[in-house]
Amino acid sequence: MVELIWLVPALPLVGFTILWFFGKRIGEPLAGWLGTAVVALSFLTTLVVFAGLWNEPDHTFQVDYFTWIPAGDFQVEIGFLLDPLSMAMIMFVTGIGSLIHLYSIGYMHGDSRFPRFFTYLNLFVFSMLMLVLGDNMVLTFLGWEGVGACSYLLISFWFEKEANASAGKKAFVTNRVGDWGFMVAMFAAFFTFGSLNWSTITSQAPGLAETTATLIAVMLLIGAVGKSAQLPLFIWLPDAMAGPTPVSALIHAATMVTAGVYLLVRANPILAASAEWVPWAIAIIGAATLFIAATIAVAQTDIKKVLAYSTVSQLGYMFLAVGSGGYTAAIFHMITHAFFKACLFLGSGSVIHGMHDDQDMRHMGALRKVMPFTAFGFIIGWLAISGVPPFSGFWSKDEILSYALHKSPVLYVIGLAGALITAFYMSRQVFMVFFGKARWGASADAELANLDAHDTSAAGSAGDANDLGEATVAADADAGPVAVATEHHGHDVQPHESPWTMTLPILVLAFFALVAGVLNLPFTENLEFLNKWLEPVVGENQAHLGLSTAKLLAEMAISTVVALTGIALAYAIYMKKKFDARKVELPFFYNGWYIDHGVTVFMGGPGRRLFELIALFDRVVIDGAVNGVGRLSRGGAARLRTVQNGYVRWYALMVGLGTILIIAFILTQVSFS
Amino acid sequence: MSLALLAQLTQEPTPISAGPEQVHVPGPDIYWPALIPLMILLVGGLLLLTFSSFLRGKAPRGIFAAATVVIALASALSVLPLWAQVQGWSSLLWWDIHPEVTGPYTTIGGMVGVDGFTLFVTIVICAAVGLAALLTDGYLRREDMEGPEFYVLMLLSAAGGVILAMGNDLIVVFVGLETLSIAVYVLAGMHLRRVQSQESGIKYFVLGAFSSAFFLYGIALIYGATGSTNLVQIKAFMSEVVPTQNGLLLIGLGLLIVGLAFKVSAVPFHAWSPDVYDGAPTPGVAWMASGVKAAAFAGMIRIFVLTFSNYESTWKPIVYALAILSMIVGAALAVVQSNVKRMLAYSSISHAGFILMAVEAGSDMGNSAVLFYLAAYVFMVAGSFGVATIVGRRGDGHHLLADYKGLSRTNPLLAVAFTVLLLAQAGVPFTAGFFAKFYAVEAAVDASSTPLAIIAMLSAVVSAFLYLRIIVAMFMSGGDDGDDGPVPTRAERIPVPVGAAIALALCVAVTMVVGLFPNLLVDAAEKGQPALVQYETPSSASAAPTGAASGTGR
Amino acid sequence: MTAAILASEGGGSLGFPILPALVLVPMIGALVIGLIPRSRPEVARQVAILSSLLAGVLSIVLLVKFDTADDGFQFTVSQTWVSSVDIKFFLGVDGVSLFLVVLTGILFPIALFAAKPTNDPKGYYAWLTLLMGGCMGAFLALDLFLFFLMFEITLVPLYFLIGKWGHGRRVYAATKFFLYTMAGSAFMLVSIVALAVIAKAGDGGQVTFDFTKIIASDSLATNTGRWLFLGMAVAFAVKVPSFPFHTWLPDAHTEAPTAGSIDLAGILLKLGTYGFLRFGLELFPEASVYFAPLLLTLGTIGIIYGGIVAAMQRNFKRLIAYSSVAHMGFAIMGLFALNTQGVEGSVLQMVNHGISTGALFILLGFLYQRRHTYEIKDLRGIAKVAPVFAGIFTVVMLSSIGLPGLNGFVSEFLVLLGTFMAHRWWAVVAAAGVIIAALYLLWAYQRVFQGEPDEANASFPDLNLNERLVMVPLLVLIVFLGIYPKPVLDRIEPSVNRILTRMEEQVDRYDQARTQGGSELREVPEGGGHGEGGHGDEGEHALSVHVTTGEVAP
Repeated sequence: MVELIWLVPALPLVGFTILWFFGKRIGEPLAGWLGTAVVALSFLTTLVVFAGLWNEPDHTFQVDYFTWIPAGDFQVEIGFLLDPLSMAMIMFVTGIGSLIHLYSIGYMHGDSRFPRFFTYLNLFVFSMLMLVLGDNMVLTFLGWEGVGACSYLLISFWFEKEANASAGKKAFVTNRVGDWGFMVAMFAAFFTFGSLNWSTITSQAPGLAETTATLIAVMLLIGAVGKSAQLPLFIWLPDAMAGPTPVSALIHAATMVTAGVYLLVRANPILAASAEWVPWAIAIIGAATLFIAATIAVAQTDIKKVLAYSTVSQLGYMFLAVGSGGYTAAIFHMITHAFFKACLFLGSGSVIHGMHDDQDMRHMGALRKVMPFTAFGFIIGWLAISGVPPFSGFWSKDEILSYALHKSPVLYVIGLAGALITAFYMSRQVFMVFFGKARWGASADAELANLDAHDTSAAGSAGDANDLGEATVAADADAGPVAVATEHHGHDVQPHESPWTMTLPILVLAFFALVAGVLNLPFTENLEFLNKWLEPVVGENQAHLGLSTAKLLAEMAISTVVALTGIALAYAIYMKKKFDARKVELPFFYNGWYIDHGVTVFMGGPGRRLFELIALFDRVVIDGAVNGVGRLSRGGAARLRTVQNGYVRWYALMVGLGTILIIAFILTQVSFS
Repeated sequence: MSLALLAQLTQEPTPISAGPEQVHVPGPDIYWPALIPLMILLVGGLLLLTFSSFLRGKAPRGIFAAATVVIALASALSVLPLWAQVQGWSSLLWWDIHPEVTGPYTTIGGMVGVDGFTLFVTIVICAAVGLAALLTDGYLRREDMEGPEFYVLMLLSAAGGVILAMGNDLIVVFVGLETLSIAVYVLAGMHLRRVQSQESGIKYFVLGAFSSAFFLYGIALIYGATGSTNLVQIKAFMSEVVPTQNGLLLIGLGLLIVGLAFKVSAVPFHAWSPDVYDGAPTPGVAWMASGVKAAAFAGMIRIFVLTFSNYESTWKPIVYALAILSMIVGAALAVVQSNVKRMLAYSSISHAGFILMAVEAGSDMGNSAVLFYLAAYVFMVAGSFGVATIVGRRGDGHHLLADYKGLSRTNPLLAVAFTVLLLAQAGVPFTAGFFAKFYAVEAAVDASSTPLAIIAMLSAVVSAFLYLRIIVAMFMSGGDDGDDGPVPTRAERIPVPVGAAIALALCVAVTMVVGLFPNLLVDAAEKGQPALVQYETPSSASAAPTGAASGTGR
Repeated sequence: MTAAILASEGGGSLGFPILPALVLVPMIGALVIGLIPRSRPEVARQVAILSSLLAGVLSIVLLVKFDTADDGFQFTVSQTWVSSVDIKFFLGVDGVSLFLVVLTGILFPIALFAAKPTNDPKGYYAWLTLLMGGCMGAFLALDLFLFFLMFEITLVPLYFLIGKWGHGRRVYAATKFFLYTMAGSAFMLVSIVALAVIAKAGDGGQVTFDFTKIIASDSLATNTGRWLFLGMAVAFAVKVPSFPFHTWLPDAHTEAPTAGSIDLAGILLKLGTYGFLRFGLELFPEASVYFAPLLLTLGTIGIIYGGIVAAMQRNFKRLIAYSSVAHMGFAIMGLFALNTQGVEGSVLQMVNHGISTGALFILLGFLYQRRHTYEIKDLRGIAKVAPVFAGIFTVVMLSSIGLPGLNGFVSEFLVLLGTFMAHRWWAVVAAAGVIIAALYLLWAYQRVFQGEPDEANASFPDLNLNERLVMVPLLVLIVFLGIYPKPVLDRIEPSVNRILTRMEEQVDRYDQARTQGGSELREVPEGGGHGEGGHGDEGEHALSVHVTTGEVAP
């Protein structure tokens, strides 16, 4: 049964191939159904494989199909490594993947490039599976770059809008910075191990020279930071929201962005062998990211931007976990996050769909009445992410926090703060979108008037860090609320619930967001299924907490309180209007601490000027030298030419001079005595 | 001549005491076959002159040209048996000759030496004359200057060239040089209606006389130093004696260099050539650029490489310098010209530089490189000036680059032919020019003067630019996708006379064939080694020449 | 490594001489076209397509018959050409040249199908086919002289293609290209001649240009070897072109007609890198090792610098031209990593770059046919109106960016890996090239294909069937070589190992770590940097030294 593993990536690939060539002819909606079918099938296969994997020796199965790159002693196989880690990953990749495919059928309805969309989606699923299943770094890298490319294609799917095009390119280029790290890591790994097979690396890593291990680990970290949108490379993810919402859900929430975490977990023996400060660095990056991103999310008005920053922040939690040695916790949170964040995104997508592509939360409110299913799913997602027991988010986040505490109290505090803010901004979103009074339709204008008043202050510097700051192209949100708000004056929308193809996935995901916690309940050893399952992969490098039940309960209590406080605050501000939202929605937050802005200014300013300087150098100095030689010789010749003036006496003189010179030379040879 | 006789008399003192009695002064005995090629040219020229005076006016078209070609051809053919003899073949094709003596030899009392080198050069000269004659025909008719004089002059100067090539005695060399030059001076001034022509004639004459003076003085000095003008004896003298004061000798050598360098128009003795080439009737230029130079180089090899072989340290540096100067200045100045004839003049100067490089090598490889280069060069340059002749149009005045615009449209074939010749001069592979340059470079490198080789190749790049300019004018202007100027049409095509066409076809063919199968020429060039042979007064009265059992003089 | 082994008649030697056929078929084709009257352009086209296709098929046959295991030269054919200096028409193919030949065979017909000339088709087709023959000859030549000949002869056709059928400042571009390359070759010729003259000593007083003989006779003094290598290196560096000799490339590409660009980027640049491998690494092992750091640096600079300058271009074709500078930087880098991965990667990179960049230029040609401009600012939102065009372009672009699964990645990865083994910091820096590559290509793509098309581009017709068919083979190759390069690498490897083994035998400075990167470490991971500590003497191994201390320090 487990041999069927090749089918898992093969099916989406087939789907991709068919759609690539015949997509147009198949057309809507058949192309959509085809794309969904192949992914769903590969999900079923995954289940079969999963069943098969149970009776493999320590749940690991490796298979090589053919040699990809043979060069001397460097041999790269096309082959899969199916171990508990990859198993867990492919399960939710294919699972959530198929749900989102289904959702897209509804969401992309009527789009001119409907089939093309599913082509890319299938390709993405394939690449993601390669990333996860690859039994060597190079194959993983193939998936790694593949998902990057797909995200590029999908973000700029509606390329007619400059903003989307730039966003896609920005995502790709920023990711490439990370890929550079990954590549160098691979070189170093091959130099050290003489092989790039994960099994070889993980088995030999323990005896590794610390400096070498550190180099590899750091390079991998750079790669992970790029992919998983951590500081300082997170700037691309918010812009990535320019893509269609299902893309945001699948790629920029559930799967691709977690690849970085996966990579670090996969390479845990190397992290273990590397210097002390490397895990610290990871943890700190995670903590910083989760906190900063959370604060930014507080001030966003675009419904998807909020979720985007919250994703960044949640990924921060996962990095924190990895840094604190809680590998399973990281994976656990990755899974739960996949469920509730996907659920939230799909929900938001449904809302946007219902609002006729208006993404500004300030035009919403009281939507629960018109779109009950969406609201229901969204609310569950909200409770999950806010860490309210017994929703899944609570368990995973709590586990991370306890690892953080075990690493250092400071990290723990930051984690808690993050949790508080998370609860706050998510509640804010829910209240703004689904509760309060409707700000859409006829009743809109009055509300908007005063909103715009304050937003002008918030409408900070726009512009994404598109490379070399070509004429700054503004993505919606960056253009500042004013633009968006005014744009919708008067025109009144009638929100409506979305078709079942969209609501069904939401509800399914909501269900998992609710129950996924059972994967790894902390109370007793035998409830920690995930821990046991991942044992073979992360076993020896996993930090051991050994918490007493009391301590455990205490921590739970604390985080519960924190979560509820956050919700309460939001309630006070946005429902009861106890005090002005402006106190919390600072422009500084709205503009994401001006990090993105800073990058733009740098790239557009000094960066570009440097490039132009070099280009100028090429034109003037190097090419100038070449042409200079030519000009010089011609000039010299022209000067020489003046001797050729046609006067015989001149010529005679020249002959004479020549003779004299020769004689002079000869005299030096002559021997007198 | 007299000097040489004196030299011999000193060898055998005759009794003075004796009264007015018959004394047998052994005159130099002559091996006539050796002189046949020369005679053909000389006599042929004179006959042409005399007979033509009979059929004044009613001379059939192209008769003179035809006659000249025939004469040249005959002379060239008459060389072959000699060649066979020198090479020591027992038979030539089906005709088996059993020469009593084989190998290089010398005759007329050591006045002239006959060796592979001489013969090779003779053939080259004949070829040059033939080509020039073919070009001349159409030219004279176009400029209505019909008449035999032009041809006669060429034949005479060719004879001079042959004398120069075979001269084994400085006096003979000088005689040859003058015969060669004087005829050419007149040629340059032949065109009566072109002032430039007259001017160039005068210029050439004055400067030529100037340089000849140097040359003659050089001879005098050397005679003073060595007591002989015979190359063999000079060489012998130098190898036996190491004079404590070699001032005379060396300065004499230097002056000889000047004289010959002027003829091959090596920088800085080149100044005359652009003006003369520009002004002189173009077919005449074809001859000057090819034949005259070939002869002069032959002289150089004989005098420097052979005779002064053990004063290399003196003349090699000078030639080295001349080579560099010629290559660089020639190439550089060629680039800035706007007049194609001048361009070719300068490029021929840089070609001279290349040949000088081979001379400088002073080795067998060098000599054969010189021969190969000369042979290839004659065809390239004659052809090029041939095109210039044609494009010069009536009045021989259209030589500006602009006059070549769109030639590829008016006269496609002509343009292609010129392109081949130009690329050959640029040293593009699969042309004779490439191998010529290659052998010269090889010789230089072999003689471990690598810097010279590098400079040579770089100068070749510079002059390539010049050839490209002409090609651009012919092909890439005259209206391709919205380019400058109107598109010339077949209507305004330039008439190409038959003779010229044949000459061009020949040049192109040779250039290409030699480029593809260099073996044909390489072998000959390698067999054509020069040699100095000691003349022995014959014991018997047999007219047999004295053999080269003594081997080559080196 | 004796001549015998090198010239082993190994592998499938066919009934008829396939290699000469590869060279001569196109050349004959060119000749035939030359004879066709101008009035029948369509015939010229047919002949051109026929002959190039035939050559292409032959190259495929060669690929099939090629003996994978044999590391020597196969199908060798030797025919004396110029006996006196032992110049031979000596052809042979090994794993290194095999795929370049096949690439030539594939790319030329495609180029013919991809673009039609604007005017005077006859000449266009003649030059193009002649160019093909020249390239084949250069890749197959095993006689240094023959190689130089072919290397040079390729200049002429391309000169005319650019100068006559190009656009914009075509004459300037063509002349620059011609002179720049010729200047480079000048040094090469001198080097080759010197090599041959030196080889005299090794080969019984006979000058030889026979590659295998020269290899066999190791009569090279270290210092001489280095000088000669430099001479060669200049020529190749210009051809590649490597920073800082690259500026002729953008001009040539921008002004060249589509077919010219395709073959220039696809084939001719490879002459440089191939030359480096065959006549650099294999001929001068010692010098190669000695100068490796220098050339690695040039390669690295090329990668980064080329990328940056490319990003700043306003002309799409110019941008791609600069991207070629970057890609060829990888090729050079890999060669001078001097280990299996590096060199193999480099050879593969040559092929891949030929395919990807060739495809890019074809697409640009289609673009130009439709919009008559390469200016990026004049192009917008084409993806909307021409989805297929955009889709194909995306694939090619991604392969050029080096996306795993497409061809570009494999070679670039191997090159970087190999370089890391030898000189890690260069690899680390060069790897940053991947970022820049993404930068300039995606940016260009965005400006040209994305956004709303303005009215000028709104009516941009999508690719027609013919154009799609032209692209098919290249796309297939792009994908195939991306996922299954094994067959290619398997054939390259033996020859590469042959070269490297010879290098190991001859050069003591050549250190093991380059062939088996840290394999010691595989046995004992604790060994940490011990294995590398050995070559800590070289600066770039600072890190490993550091590692060592980190371990050893008690």
